[in-house]
Formats: sequence, structure tokens, C-alpha cells
Amino acid sequence: MAAVGETAPETEARRLAEDARDRVRFEEEALELADQVYRVARRMVSSREEAEDLMQETYARAFRSWRSFQPGTNLRAWLLRILTNLNIDRGRRVQRAPDMQPLEEGDYFLYNKLEESTQAPNPDEERVLERLSQDDAVSALSAVPHDFRDAIVLVDIGDFSYNDAAQILDIPVGTVMSRLHRGRRILKRELADRAVTDGGDVT
Amino acid sequence: MSGFAIDPCDQCEELLQPFLDRDLSEEERMVAEDHLTGCEYCRKRYRFEEQLRRFVRQAVVEPMSPELKTKLAELRTPLI
Repeated sequence: MAAVGETAPETEARRLAEDARDRVRFEEEALELADQVYRVARRMVSSREEAEDLMQETYARAFRSWRSFQPGTNLRAWLLRILTNLNIDRGRRVQRAPDMQPLEEGDYFLYNKLEESTQAPNPDEERVLERLSQDDAVSALSAVPHDFRDAIVLVDIGDFSYNDAAQILDIPVGTVMSRLHRGRRILKRELADRAVTDGGDVT
Repeated sequence: MSGFAIDPCDQCEELLQPFLDRDLSEEERMVAEDHLTGCEYCRKRYRFEEQLRRFVRQAVVEPMSPELKTKLAELRTPLI
């Protein structure tokens, strides 16, 4: 219904202008989040090239389907949901039940291992942490199987809540928590392997 | 030595992740806190875990390239 004194084409023109304005705002907001989305994306795949391709596909799709985003909900989570689905669609990763063999190493394993290899008697925890390099962290994280890594990357690197992570990965919250718990232990085991093979003192 | 079958440090180790995630019941949190007060061995490992999480978080960040930023901006719908 056109307002009094206003013709139908004018109403239509105004509607289109409002629509364009909403779309521009959406696109700007999504672009502002790109650094944070990339931070997560980069660690979900193995190479920078893959992460960059995935980001472009994600943003292209997001801009096409912007109307399906509900204003007031978490845009960063929405973008990562698209990204995760695209990643699965591309067959980069196969959704499968993660290996649930009991893990021998507990949560103190890494500390004990590092402390053992530190020359100083009874070192403090800062000294122990120095045995790990940035490269150790990057390569240990990439060695964690996908299902566990995704949970770690979303919650510990991307600061998503368990609920958001569950929605992004399309799995129950309890599964996010158990993968996170186990994934962190796997990560620590991988870190322990790397720190120990480094051998000797940190130079 | 307590008469419990479970070693208190083992129990504390099991509570480490949910403790740092603030995901423990009041009762479990008290168990962990009571134990930590008297146990330097576990306290060290809890402090280490906190530092480790911060370390990993910072270590794995790789900034987005300016080229990608430009490419993403170009995906915007052109204004006619």
C-alpha cells in the first residue's frame, strides 16, 4: 500500500533503496569480521592457499545469501557455519566418527615431559613453557585430527562458546565438549613429541 | 595418606580442563580448590595450562594477507 500522496513507483524505489542500504551494511559488517574469521579458517585447513580459497568462497556465498542472516544473531558464527559447510562440501575433510580409543596421556603429561627435559632442578612453569617454540605449536595443532582440531580452533583460538561451536559444526554441545577435552590432550601429546625431539637447550 | 582409592592429584588432573573452562559444579570446584591450596605440584600444572593456552593461541595466529582482504572487498555487490 502506497502512502497518501505517494505513487506506487516511489514506494518501490524507496524499498529498493532501503534494501540496498541494508545489504551494504551487512557486507561492511561481514568484511570487518574477516580477520577473525580467517584466524579460525587458517587453522581448519592445512595450507594458506586453501584458507584463502575458502574465505573467498565463503564471502561470495555470504554476500549472495545475506537475506538469510537474521539480524541480531552472531554474524561471525554464521560466516563460519558457511565456511565449515563449504569445507565439508569440497571433500577436504570427511565427516566421520572420531577415534575414541582411550588416550594414555592425561592433562599433566606435557608438563611432566617438559620438566623432565629441563636441566634446572624444580624449574618454574615459565621456564618449562620456554621449551616450546611457535613452530612447535603450529605443527602440533595441525597434527591433531580434524574433528578434534575444529573444536579446539573454534573455542580456544576463535573464542566461540560451546553452543556456537556446536551450531557451526552441527554437532551436539556434549560432543563439542568431549572433542575439545580429548583434542587438547592430543595437542599436548603432539607438543611433547616435538619439544622432546628438539633436544638440548633452547637457543 | 587418605583412605580413598583415587589419588587426589589424579582427581585434580581430571578436573583441570573443566576448572579452567569454568565448567565445574560448585562441589567439584571446591574439591579442586581445596586440593590446589595445599598442593604445589598441581598448582604448577594448573598455572602452566593457563599459560600454555595463551601461548598456543598467540603462536598459531597468521595474519590475513592484504591481497586477500582486497579480494574479499571486491566480492561486494556493486552499487548501481
